[in-house]
Amino acid sequence: MPEIIDVCPIEELPPGERRLVEWEDLEIGVFNCGGNLYAIEDRCSHDDGPLAEGEFDEENCTVECPRHGSLFDLTTGKPKTLPAYVPVDTFAVIIEDQTIKLEVE
Amino acid sequence: MAVTENEALAAINADYEQRYGFRDAENYLYKAPKGLNREIVEKISEFKSEPQWMREFRLKALDHFLSRPQPTWGSPLLAEVDYDDIHYFVRASEKPGRSWDDVPADVKKTFDRLGIPEAERKFLSGVGAQYESEVVYHQVREDLEKQGVIFKDMDSGLREHEDIVREYFATVIPPNDNKLAALNSAVWSGGSFVYVPEGVHVEMPLQAYFRINTENMGQFERTLIIAEPGSYVHYVEGCTAPTYSSSSLHSAVVELIAKPGARIRYTTVQNWSTNVFNLVTKRAVAQEDATVEWVDCNLGSRLTMKYPSVYLLGERAHGEILSIAFAGKGQHQDAGGKIIHAAPNTTSNIFAKSISKDGGRGSYRGLLEIAKGAHGARSKVVCDALLLDEHSRSDTYPTIRIGEDDVNVGHEATVSKVGEDQLFYLMSHGIPEDEASKLIVNGFIEPITKELPMEYAVEMNRLIELQMEGSIG
Repeated sequence: MPEIIDVCPIEELPPGERRLVEWEDLEIGVFNCGGNLYAIEDRCSHDDGPLAEGEFDEENCTVECPRHGSLFDLTTGKPKTLPAYVPVDTFAVIIEDQTIKLEVE
Repeated sequence: MAVTENEALAAINADYEQRYGFRDAENYLYKAPKGLNREIVEKISEFKSEPQWMREFRLKALDHFLSRPQPTWGSPLLAEVDYDDIHYFVRASEKPGRSWDDVPADVKKTFDRLGIPEAERKFLSGVGAQYESEVVYHQVREDLEKQGVIFKDMDSGLREHEDIVREYFATVIPPNDNKLAALNSAVWSGGSFVYVPEGVHVEMPLQAYFRINTENMGQFERTLIIAEPGSYVHYVEGCTAPTYSSSSLHSAVVELIAKPGARIRYTTVQNWSTNVFNLVTKRAVAQEDATVEWVDCNLGSRLTMKYPSVYLLGERAHGEILSIAFAGKGQHQDAGGKIIHAAPNTTSNIFAKSISKDGGRGSYRGLLEIAKGAHGARSKVVCDALLLDEHSRSDTYPTIRIGEDDVNVGHEATVSKVGEDQLFYLMSHGIPEDEASKLIVNGFIEPITKELPMEYAVEMNRLIELQMEGSIG
């Protein structure tokens, strides 16, 4: 059963910014690419290291894994470069009452 | 037995000095001072009049290189690499010539001695010759050019085909993949850019020859090969350098992309002098029904750390790694390969052979990974080691990760020693002892040398023979 969790008020995550949230044992990175919001699991599919703290390219809507350089498309979770080849999980982002929320399960 | 095996076997590359170890006078257009900093990286980019994105790519890679620690796995010899004692860029010629007449006289003499123009006339589709940091000669057969085949040095590839380069460059090996890939990404120069259009078969091999001349030189070529659907290409590279008492560094990055149904074969005969650290990252992508084969022969260098890999990303893709490593006195060959099965019904083989003698160390280091969902994958890994004396060493470091049930994986490893009984058996048939040793070694590596083009198989057998002879009596 999906659950809806709060991230933050919308004005706290302007374009070009990101935020990390935790839910149970999951860590999720939420990114604002030019006004569009995307959320991915904060775990690189290559070696399970943290991903969301890597270099965020707002224009191309990508994040680069800080450990081995795989570039992930934030809109799909798919890696655009090796060494990762498996997509990371993505989460639906909802805006309700001026608050950013995530659908998790 | 009267003569011990050790006495019967020769020093590595007995005539290396005479054949490859010569050095030329340094008449360079530019030679960077030793050491690496932002200024050197900017200078390289400026020399090459590169687009802004490549300059930024280099500088970002430099930050990655500087912030990463030196790896501590692989070989204790890695600690000997002194990054401050290396010249990172040396320019020998104004631009790559298409005729040997355009090549500076002393550089031309070097490649004449190495037999490069002769080989081109006889059996190659195209040749690139890199001297120090840059390619000094480049030629591809006209009929292939007419079919749309691009075979350029990487610098020209970037200048003349920027769109293709930008689309694929560093997508297989990103700059932050590892410390040495970051270093190459910061200071890369030369290497080959190969593009084979859909359905085109390049029947004869393309060859690149890499030569280091300067002491304490770093060579950082960058090669990118793109084979469009249904195409075929075989690329062969060879490398030599003079023997110096201080170290040089060779750190290449090679990226191969085989699109659906394409086949790329990449053959290396590495015969660096024993003062060269050879730390190379080679990786390939094989899409649906594509095949990538690495044929990797390592004879020279002080230390080689090289594990060509194939990511089988499309269904029914096939990867093949054939590796020979010969470790003589003072050498460590840490070679092997990696295959990642990321799609169903993919197949692969790794055949690795290592020979150690005179205290040399040969290691096989490999990874076989079968991802969840890659059902029906089949793989066979065979690594054999041959020890030629008591004080040489062989290690095997295989890693196998399997995330799927319906797969078929085989792993075999053997270590054998050339025993007195084998030698005695052959000698009892009237074969002299040195010949008997050569026969045993040639028989050991024959499954791989038979995969080389004939001219290279002959050269490889000759090199092995050279390594085996000389110290009898």
